[in-house]
Amino acid sequence: MMRFIRPRLRKPLLRGIALLGIAGAWVIGSHTWEPAIVIAVVAVGQTVYRYTWAGEDTDESALLGSRADERQKQVGLRARALSGSVAMAAAYIGLVIALAVKRADAWPFAALLAVTGFAYLLGLSSYGSGEPGPEDEVTAGRQARYPVNS
Amino acid sequence: MRNHVREQRIQREMSQAELAAALGVSRQTIISIENGRYLPSLPLAFGIARFFDLTVDKMFDPDEEEAGA
Repeated sequence: MMRFIRPRLRKPLLRGIALLGIAGAWVIGSHTWEPAIVIAVVAVGQTVYRYTWAGEDTDESALLGSRADERQKQVGLRARALSGSVAMAAAYIGLVIALAVKRADAWPFAALLAVTGFAYLLGLSSYGSGEPGPEDEVTAGRQARYPVNS
Repeated sequence: MRNHVREQRIQREMSQAELAAALGVSRQTIISIENGRYLPSLPLAFGIARFFDLTVDKMFDPDEEEAGA
């Protein structure tokens, strides 16, 4: 479905839809419309703002506009890795504090910690940590002919 | 790692934006490569070398440190 949407619009639109999801959850949970309308207006506004921003000539705009090159994708990946690490650390700290003060509602921190930890393991297996296979037929049982520097 | 992207580009009187467009990368990436802040992937390194009619080892010198990097 995303293929039918202009690349520059994809991420701004996804973020807008995510905000609309929060607005919808608010309506379902509290049965009040006013805050949800404010969130919906913010969702539309930020979509327009991000769409405009995505057209500029910067690394952030290229990432936002889904036209990042290899270096920009690497920057984006590192930023995502950092956000994942921070989320995991925050979940751990939250869990420790919640347990220390004997709060019964520590489970969201435990769940977030479990999800981030599982996502890390999933990433390792998805992106090739298990790929190295058996030794090849030439080097098996032989010593390296050439000195290995590292 | 030192590279000769800037010298080659200036020799051919090309702007960073023109080189970026020719290689299919962003202007910011050309700036980062020229300043030695980013080591391009192997396909991009070959692309740069081919573009300037040089070999990769003529374009990128692993034994020299980038000045100011």
